[in-house]
Amino acid sequence: MVKKTDKLDILKNAEAPEPSKARRAQNLEAAMLAFDKEQQEQLKQKNKTFQGNGLMRRLMSIFNNKRRTFNMDMRIPLGGVAIIGLVLLPLALMYNSTTSLTGLNSPLGQPVQEKKDMQLSEDLNKEKPAKLEERTRSENDGAIVLDNAAPVAESEVSEMAVSSPAIQMESKLAQRPEPLGMVAPAPTIMDGQAGDKFSSEDESSLFITAQNPVSTFSIDVDTASYSYVRSQLENGIMPNPDAVRIEEMVNYFSYDYQAPTSANVPFMQSVEVYPTPWNEATKLLHIGIKGFTPELSERPKSNLVLLIDSSGSMNAPDKLPLLKRSFSLLLNQLDENDTISIVAYAGSAGVVLEPTKASEKRKILKALERLSAGGSTAGGQGIELAYELAEDAKSEGSNNRVILATDGDFNVGISTPDALKSFIEKKRDDDISLSVLGFGSGNYNDELMQALAQNGNGNAFYIDSFLEAKKVLSEEILGTLMTIAKDVKIQVEFNPLTVAEYRLVGYETRALKREDFNNDKVDAGDIGAGHTVTAIYEITPVGSSAISVDALRYQNEKPVSTIGNKQEYAFLKLRYKLPNEDKSKLIEVPIRVDAAKDNIADISPEFRFGASVAAFAQKLRGSNYADNMSYEEIEALARDAKGEDRFGYRAEFISLVDIANSLSK
Amino acid sequence: MMIGLVVNYANRGNENFGNFWTQNMVLEKQDLSDKPDDGELIELANNGSRAAFAMLLERHYMLIYKIAYQWLGHQSDAEDVTQEVCLKLAKVLKSFDGRAKFSSWLYRIVLNVVRDMQRSRGRQNKRHIALKDITQANSPASQEEATTYSQMWQAVRKLPQKQCDAVLLVYGQELNHFEVAQIMDVKESTVSWYVMEAKKSLKGLL
Repeated sequence: MVKKTDKLDILKNAEAPEPSKARRAQNLEAAMLAFDKEQQEQLKQKNKTFQGNGLMRRLMSIFNNKRRTFNMDMRIPLGGVAIIGLVLLPLALMYNSTTSLTGLNSPLGQPVQEKKDMQLSEDLNKEKPAKLEERTRSENDGAIVLDNAAPVAESEVSEMAVSSPAIQMESKLAQRPEPLGMVAPAPTIMDGQAGDKFSSEDESSLFITAQNPVSTFSIDVDTASYSYVRSQLENGIMPNPDAVRIEEMVNYFSYDYQAPTSANVPFMQSVEVYPTPWNEATKLLHIGIKGFTPELSERPKSNLVLLIDSSGSMNAPDKLPLLKRSFSLLLNQLDENDTISIVAYAGSAGVVLEPTKASEKRKILKALERLSAGGSTAGGQGIELAYELAEDAKSEGSNNRVILATDGDFNVGISTPDALKSFIEKKRDDDISLSVLGFGSGNYNDELMQALAQNGNGNAFYIDSFLEAKKVLSEEILGTLMTIAKDVKIQVEFNPLTVAEYRLVGYETRALKREDFNNDKVDAGDIGAGHTVTAIYEITPVGSSAISVDALRYQNEKPVSTIGNKQEYAFLKLRYKLPNEDKSKLIEVPIRVDAAKDNIADISPEFRFGASVAAFAQKLRGSNYADNMSYEEIEALARDAKGEDRFGYRAEFISLVDIANSLSK
Repeated sequence: MMIGLVVNYANRGNENFGNFWTQNMVLEKQDLSDKPDDGELIELANNGSRAAFAMLLERHYMLIYKIAYQWLGHQSDAEDVTQEVCLKLAKVLKSFDGRAKFSSWLYRIVLNVVRDMQRSRGRQNKRHIALKDITQANSPASQEEATTYSQMWQAVRKLPQKQCDAVLLVYGQELNHFEVAQIMDVKESTVSWYVMEAKKSLKGLL
């Protein structure tokens, strides 16, 4: 630890370029003018007081003086005073997510503004409970609204949720509640994943090309699995193999594949064939897809409804407080063309914020701030209400999306997961999609969240830290909010003359039937702006020592004929729809044998890094195929392919491999 | 009518305080000859001395600029912030109460202005920065060593604000935790915690 510290010392060598002399003179002169003006201003004021200009002013100046001495740090008005309150608020929220606005100061000498602001927040408080109640009453008969503007009642509720063992014990055995105000990381619970649910999917099996030449699947841009695995490893826990979804681990990283240049061709595919790092006798067929990145200004207006789980189980520092901070990041990316609504579900469903322009940050953040955790979960009703609001705020060409933030609790409401899925599916056809943000562990219901997001044309993310929130809601927001191609399916036909066996690495939950490929009614994954998607096949060439299945004695399995003879390994077909079209387009690419590389070092680091992630994910899953590659080898492969790694994500991956290595010993 | 009144008051004010002005000028000349300290300069400036204020600005101009540059990493932005801070000082110097060191107080003002600028520019620059990020990410990865330094800076500036402030004050400005705590208006232990959190986030680079 001590050694590591020293690295930060390089920061002190920051050499600032010499400031411009002209600028300096200008700046100083301007300051002197301001100084003169200020002096005059003061004289005027003093003079007025001197002349006995009203009791009010004197009182006011006492008031102001007091403020001055108490707040030597604070922002001082310089014109755009009105904005300051608005601007300060998100800041205070970001780092202080649960305490209310203690650090806030209104500018000196602006009593009018101050009053206005107070009025504003009063209005807000007044209007909310009324609307809340009205709405809720009409939705559920006589259920109690927890989240209103009464802070005392609210804190009592959350206190109760924290301290009452009865409520907690029922469903949340593994959950250790932390006081809400704590933002410091909670001490790790060793059995922290006990309550998390993952579906167990068998590893994609090996196919014999002669019998099963065609492989079809839907692309998937989710990344939730990686952040979950990361948070487990960082807490010193080997993740549950079922929590590891290989394609999500691989797709967590953004790869610098060749990019398309126009929105008409929404993505480009790059294909490489190279030796498998974990098996000398096989090759990897690595398909990379890079989505088009439009200008931020071309983003369609967004109509977002935040559906927030404020149940008792969200009462942990890495859940509700992190969620609040995360959404304030999202707000920074939006503007007055976008609308935000907030619905909470906690005991009962309630509207926290009616559709509001995203530019009204103060109002939105205030509404977020009012949320607190307590009560049981009724995800279903919340969802209905959220979609209703999304419907209300829909407008021409808008991107309508419900963003569900939860730790995975859906105990009440639309009764069965299947009913929930079909509800979401129906709404998807009405042009409202669903994204799911998962928080915390101990209660995390991965399977259901996956299913919901997949049915809702959306994506699922797992937010384990503020940095991850930044990645999802700030850096890659365009991809999250803007779909550039939908229902993207991949079909690969392998050539039995060159490929004896193949298997798809990952994508177990995304397999499609062969006939689904050409059926435009079958839903598949979407690609957002700038997304990269990676799919990897491990293929066993004909004649390789790795062929696992013996030839049959009584059957002649020789293929009848192939067009490509021995020139091609496979034929890749991609189908996609443009966001506003219903008919799919087709891209076809032959994968030639002579384009294959004999040495893994000959391919670009982007592909190599992807291969290292795939190897790691398979190892964590206990794969039958990649298990003989050691963690050290994976780490070496990744390190060698790290590239520039501007955000440090790849470096982080390398450290995870290292942790897994030490945990496995 | 109203206007006339105000002007009248103002004029009278000048008369009333005429004496005060000249007195001050004399004081000023004596004091400035043997390098007055910040506290004295501030007192003089707050009593209306232009020269004292000018000297104070001259003395701290580089410090302000350097802080701004460290936080922003961009010369013309840093110069804009410096200007804003100079203007601000003209207005708020009188609110400096001497409880903290002047430099600590100045840090806070500079950091606040930096924040304001980042926020107001944030929107219009976001796309610009995003594009920059992309092009940089695309550049070949050959000189890894050479980029560590700038990578570190990028990463530090991307930290959550308080962590970023703590790290830059402790490492970039080489202040001790006590001073940093004063500037950030938090406990010393909180400063250490911010630094620790930052290190956690940066561990890929460390």
